[in-house]
Amino acid sequence: MSLTSSKVESLEAKSAPRLSLLGFTMALPPVLLVVAFVGLPILIGFTFSLGFTSGPNRVVSLIGQQIHSKDHWWGTFAAYRDVIHDARFAGDLILTLVVTAISTSLVLAMSLGIGVYQRMVGGRIASIMSTLTLVPLFVPVVISSWAIHTFYSGDGFMRTVFHHFGINFPTLTSTTAAIVIGTIWTSLPFAILMVTSGFQSIPDALIETAQDAGAGFFRIVRTILIPLALTPIIIAATFTAIGILGSFTIPYFLGPNQPTMLGVEISNFFGSYNRPQQSIVMAFIVFMAASGIAVAYIWANVRSAKQSGRI
Amino acid sequence: MTTPSDEGLILHGLSKILGGRTIIDNLDLTVHKGEMVSLLGPSGCGKTTTLRMIAGFLIPDQGHITIAGKDVTELGPEKRPSAMVFQNYALWPHMSVFKNVAYPLKVRKLAHAEIERRVHEALELVNLMHHKDSRPSQISGGEQQRVALARALVQEPDILLLDEPLSNLDAKLRVKVREDIRELQRRLNITTVIVTHDQDEALSISDRIAVMNGGKIEQFTTPQELYDRPATEYVANFIGSLNRVEGSYNDGLVGAGTDAIGIRPEDVYFSHNEIPGGHRATVELVVPRGHFYEVYLKREDVALRAFVSSDIPKHGDIGYVRINKALIYQNGHLVRSA
Repeated sequence: MSLTSSKVESLEAKSAPRLSLLGFTMALPPVLLVVAFVGLPILIGFTFSLGFTSGPNRVVSLIGQQIHSKDHWWGTFAAYRDVIHDARFAGDLILTLVVTAISTSLVLAMSLGIGVYQRMVGGRIASIMSTLTLVPLFVPVVISSWAIHTFYSGDGFMRTVFHHFGINFPTLTSTTAAIVIGTIWTSLPFAILMVTSGFQSIPDALIETAQDAGAGFFRIVRTILIPLALTPIIIAATFTAIGILGSFTIPYFLGPNQPTMLGVEISNFFGSYNRPQQSIVMAFIVFMAASGIAVAYIWANVRSAKQSGRI
Repeated sequence: MTTPSDEGLILHGLSKILGGRTIIDNLDLTVHKGEMVSLLGPSGCGKTTTLRMIAGFLIPDQGHITIAGKDVTELGPEKRPSAMVFQNYALWPHMSVFKNVAYPLKVRKLAHAEIERRVHEALELVNLMHHKDSRPSQISGGEQQRVALARALVQEPDILLLDEPLSNLDAKLRVKVREDIRELQRRLNITTVIVTHDQDEALSISDRIAVMNGGKIEQFTTPQELYDRPATEYVANFIGSLNRVEGSYNDGLVGAGTDAIGIRPEDVYFSHNEIPGGHRATVELVVPRGHFYEVYLKREDVALRAFVSSDIPKHGDIGYVRINKALIYQNGHLVRSA
């Protein structure tokens, strides 16, 4: 027996709400998990930064130093004032933003270089290069940080080798340069994976058509490759920047004591200085900076969805 | 004799080995200026490789390519006076229709006004002015094809290369677009090489067809000649439909022998009544094919298929069959037609 089209339509209409309820139920556990273990702590932390020192914030308020309690119904900005007027914070923020900008730019430039080389030239050397760049993925950050530390330290490999030639190679450990080297080491593999996969997904015909139209190498890269792989490039850039912005291990091992990156300073304020309210304020400022970067990520996703006709 | 002004494209002694396999083997081809030539053959015969060598995407291992009298063998695609339309159109999805067509002109650093004028001309040529601001994803497959064509034509190339340009279109649209392409090609008098595996397509739009097999050209001639006098058994089998029998052919009868005899089904005439030169045959099967019927016939000397459009027989009918024309091949080559 065959179903008429109207019967099929009516069955489909009946099953649609049931299916959407089933889908919602399936999505609920991870959503609840995120709400409970991410959303709620963020909310509690935010209220604490505004001087809500009772309830779940009571214990930390009793232990911590320089705790400000709210003096308005909405709270107080006293802890924010503390942080903003602290000269160390200004130095830390500038260093964090500078390291993020420089490292992200270098990581992006290197990934684009390797990605373009692999896409346009290809061959054995390109394959070896792209494989080698993935090595850091398999080395824990703490180990690579220590390796970089010993490599560039005062009694490290680089200075020892150069010393034999009578050259005084600078000590890079405990400098901003070491943080940049370390963040590039850790961030490059993911960025390269994203960027090269973006380039590889561009059909040959789109590149060959540009060649056929008379375009040279750099014009093809500028007008065809980069625009077509812009979404993965932006995603790689945003993930790299956000990762560097909140990094701890690399600046802790390799960076200077003062100024240092905010990840380390947040830890110092929370543990060493016992000023949890100020550390949370710093965390929120970093979070806001990351949110600004995340806007680019969202824009890239919307752009991709528009191009593929999904929205 | 070909003079430089007649020269569209000359391929001389072209060879290409890819992955240790000879794809193109000492191929010669001359396409006159303003001529439309099809490279026709099955998958793997080397037609796309030949086209890619003409476009400059592959450099031949041996031989020379001359376009409009100029040797371009060693030149890259960006330096050749050719423009190619790809099988999947290869429109840049991040650019509008206008920008897609304008791209080759921007590369040449033409003035803005000149670019605008030529793009408008090209889009009007393919009736797509109303879509100039659309993205490729917003227009149909046929329209995308026309944009790709406009992008190629706007370059005013000496030679237009089309790589299976209709294979992604549905049957009706394919006929429409191929007529459009042919009309444009004639109007612009542009030397064109089209790669196709569709014999209908090749037969209907080409001035000449090069049938390829195993990296070589089996026959290069006009569609009519190709159909009427296929020079090799391979071409006879590939083009159109064929009854192939082994034997000897004399006075409309097939006897014992070693020749390969090719008889087109449309050259097999069936009648219910006795006809001059006809021999008795039984109808074994009748298959409707739209505007004609394919009739399987059994004569005493040979079993044949015939295309019949009137006096349609039924299964089991007895009638008379005459072979109007047969092609006789020895060692794969045509020796006579009778």
